[in-house]
Amino acid sequence: MEALGINFNLFLAQVINFGVVVGALFYLLYKPVLKMLRDRTERIEQSLQESDQVQEQLDNARRDYDAEIARARQEAATILSQAQERARSQETEIVSQARQDADRIRTEAREQAEQERDQMLREVKDQVAGLVTMTASRVLQAELAAQGHDRLINESLEALGRQ
Amino acid sequence: MFSWLSRLRNYLLAHPRTTILVTVVAAVTIVSTYCIPTGEPHVEVKAEPLFYIIGSAENPFFPFVNSFTIMLIADVLVIGLAFWATRNMQMVPRGLQNIVEMTIEALYNLFSTINRTYVARAFPLAATLFLYVLACNLLGLIPGVGSIGVCHEYHGSESVEGEAAAGGIFFMRAEGEEGAPADPNPYDTCPPGEILVPLFRTPSADLNFTFGIATIAWVYIEYLGFKSLGRGYLRKFFNTNGIMSVVGIFEFIGELVKLPAFAFRLFGNIFAGEVVLVVLAFLIPLFLPMPLYVFELFVAFIQAFIFAVLTMAFITVATTGHEEEHAEEHDDHATYPQREIEPEPQH
Amino acid sequence: MTDAGLRLIGTALAIGLAAIGPGIGIGVIVSGALQAIGRNPETQNTVVTYMFIGIAFTEALAIFGLVISFLIGFGVL
Repeated sequence: MEALGINFNLFLAQVINFGVVVGALFYLLYKPVLKMLRDRTERIEQSLQESDQVQEQLDNARRDYDAEIARARQEAATILSQAQERARSQETEIVSQARQDADRIRTEAREQAEQERDQMLREVKDQVAGLVTMTASRVLQAELAAQGHDRLINESLEALGRQ
Repeated sequence: MFSWLSRLRNYLLAHPRTTILVTVVAAVTIVSTYCIPTGEPHVEVKAEPLFYIIGSAENPFFPFVNSFTIMLIADVLVIGLAFWATRNMQMVPRGLQNIVEMTIEALYNLFSTINRTYVARAFPLAATLFLYVLACNLLGLIPGVGSIGVCHEYHGSESVEGEAAAGGIFFMRAEGEEGAPADPNPYDTCPPGEILVPLFRTPSADLNFTFGIATIAWVYIEYLGFKSLGRGYLRKFFNTNGIMSVVGIFEFIGELVKLPAFAFRLFGNIFAGEVVLVVLAFLIPLFLPMPLYVFELFVAFIQAFIFAVLTMAFITVATTGHEEEHAEEHDDHATYPQREIEPEPQH
Repeated sequence: MTDAGLRLIGTALAIGLAAIGPGIGIGVIVSGALQAIGRNPETQNTVVTYMFIGIAFTEALAIFGLVISFLIGFGVL
């Protein structure tokens, strides 16, 4: 033992030294580092869970959004078709109205024109009658007496009215 | 048959620069052997005292041996590194903290592959064994350790009487035919009658240290064995059921041998490595020790690794009872130590 | 043949003979480990760990031889 250098006091010193090192490293190194590693693992797991949740929320929001968009699109399509329908009906209505108006206006115009013509004809007839009378009276002043005037005038007028 | 020789010749002819380099290195190596004078290599099994804290040279009660120097340096290094790395812990590790955390995590994972049940409890001891032994081994490989020293007067009383029980093997070689010392080597650092006592010596090459840590590891292994199996642990060694009683005795001897095996494995590897390096450096000083130096770096790492891993493996053996072993022999689905997994205790 | 010479022979023989068996043994261990890794490369880490444990056990024999050789060489035995 002595030749190999084994000395009980030195051995004891080495044992104590190593024990001190184990203790020091336990409090300085292993405890904080292992705690930190565990904390980090926990935190990473937590973060992963959170990210899953966020992802889920995002998916939900996306789904909601998509549904909303689809609904809006559908609504728009409905509105558009309704509007088109209404426009078409209105168009027909307007066109028919216009046609009616036009017809009415035309009829009115025609009536008016006829009235005017009639009136004009009447006036013309009156005037012509007057003129004929006047002319006839002038022509026939001499030979014609007052007899049979009216019959002649009427005949002229009828002839005029027929023209 | 000598096709490799012709291949070598072709290679050397094709690469003149390599050829010249190899030739020059070989020539310098061989010439240096004759041109660089060396003294006698100093090989000593025991750690030599530098001075005496308690006692004296005649009565060495508590000497300050040269392995204490590296021991203290390793203490300061390991504890200081631990303190520095964990002084300001961040959630996102940077720099030293990152390296230390990676090391600790790798060690923890390694130990948990060997023994999942007791890794949380045994981790501080096993990891310290690895880190501290590694620090000691690597510090012992720094050039200058074992070669820088002071000359002490040689006072071994045995050397006068029993020639073989002197200081070391080389001392024996230096003795002449008649038992008288041979001519003093003119290149020795110290004058005749004095020997060089190195200031530094790695604790791994000091049996006190290796026996110390081996005792701690062994006691812890036995403690865990008793704690987990109770009296069943003793029944493993001393029982009365036929052939198993004989096997138990052998196992008991094997259990006792674990302690010196631990100690001598580390001591033998590190000390033998140092001796090989020293002797080779004294035979051929240049270039040839380099590959061996690399190998010793590897050995330094492997021995630290072995010490820690064997501790964990022995804990597995000690905490597994005979009944379980036999049960497992008939159970094809059993996975060996992971049968009794319990949740890791909270720190 | 002096006493010291006999001691030197004993020292050399102790470590020399003790190195034979572990040398073969480590060869067998590493060969087995390499075959295991070659067949199942995913288990490399585990196999290498246990390989080193086995090497440590085997090497212990050579180390015992070395210790015996020291004991003889330094005159303890």
